[in-house]
Amino acid sequence: MMRSVERGILSRYDFRRPGVRLMYGAVVLIIALMVVSMLYPIFVTLFNGLKTNAAVNSFPPTFLPDGWHWRNYREGWQFFDMPLYLRNTLLIFGGNAVVVFGVLGAAAFSLSHLRVPYRRAVTTFFLMTLFIPPTTYIIPNFVNIKELGLMNSFWAFWLPAGANAFYLLLLKTFMDGIHHELFEAARMDGASDLRCFSRIALPLSAPICSTLAIFIFSTAWNDWFWPSLIMHKSVMYPLATAIYKYVIGARQLDLNIRFAILSIVMIPPIAVFLLFQRFIMRGLQLGSVKG
Amino acid sequence: MPAAAIFVVFLWLPIAKGFVYSFYHVDFVHGNTFAGWDNYRTVLNDRDLVIAVRNTLYFVGLCLAIGFWVPIFFALAVSELRRLQGFVRAAAYLPNVVPLVVLYGLWRWFYDPVGPINAALQGLGLDSIAFMTDPDWSMVSIVLMETWQQFGAAMLIYLAAVLSIPRDWYEAAEIDGAGIWARIRHITLPSIRNLVLLMLVMQLIATSQSYQSQLAMLDGGPMKATLTYALLIVKYATAKLEIGAASALGVLMFLVLALLAVIRNRLSDKGAGA
Repeated sequence: MMRSVERGILSRYDFRRPGVRLMYGAVVLIIALMVVSMLYPIFVTLFNGLKTNAAVNSFPPTFLPDGWHWRNYREGWQFFDMPLYLRNTLLIFGGNAVVVFGVLGAAAFSLSHLRVPYRRAVTTFFLMTLFIPPTTYIIPNFVNIKELGLMNSFWAFWLPAGANAFYLLLLKTFMDGIHHELFEAARMDGASDLRCFSRIALPLSAPICSTLAIFIFSTAWNDWFWPSLIMHKSVMYPLATAIYKYVIGARQLDLNIRFAILSIVMIPPIAVFLLFQRFIMRGLQLGSVKG
Repeated sequence: MPAAAIFVVFLWLPIAKGFVYSFYHVDFVHGNTFAGWDNYRTVLNDRDLVIAVRNTLYFVGLCLAIGFWVPIFFALAVSELRRLQGFVRAAAYLPNVVPLVVLYGLWRWFYDPVGPINAALQGLGLDSIAFMTDPDWSMVSIVLMETWQQFGAAMLIYLAAVLSIPRDWYEAAEIDGAGIWARIRHITLPSIRNLVLLMLVMQLIATSQSYQSQLAMLDGGPMKATLTYALLIVKYATAKLEIGAASALGVLMFLVLALLAVIRNRLSDKGAGA
């Protein structure tokens, strides 16, 4: 093999020069600083949630907790109806996922494997929406939901979840890669289009679906503004909106309890990230080629 | 095709309604009445519009100045790491998964007059900074916070591009006597040039629509220093209940961004031809 095993911009020869070594050391130091500043706020949140209130308020602040006060988590859990809001968030996530896989999956399948009249026009009709910035129609969108009578209902999340051109594009691109012969063989055996979709196309799309599932999860977990517009009953709030309304703006809430609540909200997505890193990294690459 | 129906009802309908509402006085109780250009006149005469446009441009500029080169620099740096690269990548991306509401709660405390950043500044013998209440600092504070959260994703995208450059090119350049800077300037940067441009445009489009952090952290204050254009839209609809005016603002924004998109297409066509 001609190629050296390991080299980047710098080669092994470069590393023999002291000036280069010094520079490289400086760069590594900067990277280390970057890593620390990325991780520090996350650990601060976790540790502050375990301190006594006096310790969080001490000046200058300390990093490590003065003791492991797990009681804060129980108090935070009981500060408001956390299980209810959690249930709402999970309901939104579940419904959105069903609609995306069912409706958008079917649309992607038909566009890539069925004979659709005016296929080009239909595809353009879907993908055009990618170029219209969402903020410009956020208010009309809200009025639209209101006029459809969907305020204070989970349908206001589930149905619009199916109107996502980006997800459609990802699903369609993936399904374009499934061999056509597969469906012809199935049809030979008497399978209907619906069966082809639900028994062949969807299961084969599992990799892209898991990436999408993570997208959908993080959207449902993160979104606080849109729910606060369309949900006016507090029993319908998802977790993020409830936190925003009751925790971020709260004045009579001890800082340590506040950080305990924030930790509770932060841990699940971090766990998802650490468990499914591979899918997320792939999702990122997909996002970057979209433009 | 149920998908088509959903797209019509939940995407095209709102977009179309935006245009329609911008010519109406929207009233949920008494019904809508035709308003002609009234809404446009209202928003164009609003002094907040100038402030909002200026703030938005300032925000976009700050995001470029602070947030744009950082991921490129770190992508180059991290690509040269021989060990622990996976760990650094994961650490850089981790803030991305921190939920927005946690981000707000956390950084409000960071920026507190007696928070950790000011404690550190005092420890170094510097003056403390009123990150949130000083109009000169408030927008910078928000940009710093958003850069902290978002730069990891951009870095990973750049990193993938940098790592996909064939190593042989560097080898060949080195044999020809190219120094380290020459290699970066003539091999690495040209290879990721298109990606950089693409990310630039995507960032411009994204940052010009920003309002959530400004709303959650400071509610557009202090003294309207963080009132962005998109936040003005939201304020018109929620605080003043003038849906028609909010829609008119949306239409104006749409026209400007569409213009940007056209200019961008022209640019990329030229770039491809040259």
